[in-house]
Amino acid sequence: MKILQEYAGALTNFEVLDFLRSRGAGKDPTRLIAGIAPSEYKVYDYLEQTAASTQTRDIAIEFVQKCKEYNLAKAEILNILNIRPSCEAALYPIIEDWDIRFSVEEGKEEEELGLLKTICQVLPPPPSVMESGEGIGVEEEDNPDEQQKKAVE
Amino acid sequence: MVTLIVCFLLDLNYEMPRTCSIVCQVEIATLDQREMFCLSEIEHTLRLPPHLLNLPLAEAIKGELEGLFLDKVIAKLGLCISLYDIRSIDGGFIFPGDGASTYTVRFRLLMFRPFLGEVISARLKESSSTGLRLSLGFFDDIYIPRALLPSPSHDEPDPEDKNQVRWIWEFNEQNYPIDGMDEIRFRVHSIQYPSLPLEQDDGSKPFAPMLITGSLDADGLGPIAWWV
Repeated sequence: MKILQEYAGALTNFEVLDFLRSRGAGKDPTRLIAGIAPSEYKVYDYLEQTAASTQTRDIAIEFVQKCKEYNLAKAEILNILNIRPSCEAALYPIIEDWDIRFSVEEGKEEEELGLLKTICQVLPPPPSVMESGEGIGVEEEDNPDEQQKKAVE
Repeated sequence: MVTLIVCFLLDLNYEMPRTCSIVCQVEIATLDQREMFCLSEIEHTLRLPPHLLNLPLAEAIKGELEGLFLDKVIAKLGLCISLYDIRSIDGGFIFPGDGASTYTVRFRLLMFRPFLGEVISARLKESSSTGLRLSLGFFDDIYIPRALLPSPSHDEPDPEDKNQVRWIWEFNEQNYPIDGMDEIRFRVHSIQYPSLPLEQDDGSKPFAPMLITGSLDADGLGPIAWWV
């Protein structure tokens, strides 16, 4: 066995889900007829629970175009697509140098909230949120928490 | 059988016209970070057993490759999830003394290989005094050692299960427990591929060819319920 290219491309979660669906993963209730192995079904089950299951190709393209104004790295955009953070705290571990890029100047805080709004508007919420019918109350709940979390650091 | 070969590769310098599909070139040299799922191109010399001669070639080779690689860990490449596509099939020679034909196949595998610093959601599998163990369904060997839990935390014996331990994070005089209800977000700290052990004692953990060590020690990590 020879490894020709260790890294031949990255795939977001929803592309993997799309690939599995195109082979017939979601259509077969018995899970025996479609030519998909049990280990692949486990991946399919995991991805169905994440935010990727409600995304489509058009949504992803639209999101990428809207993100151009925020100067995000490729990997950060892909990470946001995979995780779909719905509050500021969830964005902290994804975006590097958060303090330098977003919070130092006051003008930049609007950018950070703008990014969150874009995420909430463009990307559909993950399945568990949709089932329980929770609202996506972003800014109001988190501001007091955000100051506390900053105090820890 | 046509497999869709569409990859979502971004190029920040390239203006995407609205009508194009999401197939763009990526500059691999500048892409330091990778993604949870990625493709690896492999070339392998495959012996096709004679009892598969009645099947169309592509199907027979696909079946053989899946049996060989699926759900197995390849060192440095990660866990193989699926066969993405077959690029080329060469050969078909029959070696003397052998009834089977041998093909040289180039193909791409869909690998699970998270990069360092990536944030992933997982479920709690076990909780003990040395730390947590998380599971993704298809991959179970994710460990969060005690040192990488948010500080300060302490553990207390779980009221429901005698053998398990519950971890609680103290922050601003409030206690935040880690219970098994929610998804837990963790950041990948390191990935190791330990080599096969020569001997194993009975009763020790089964050998894990790929070990992910995670950390919960940052804002936004931990059970989702803590941050919503």
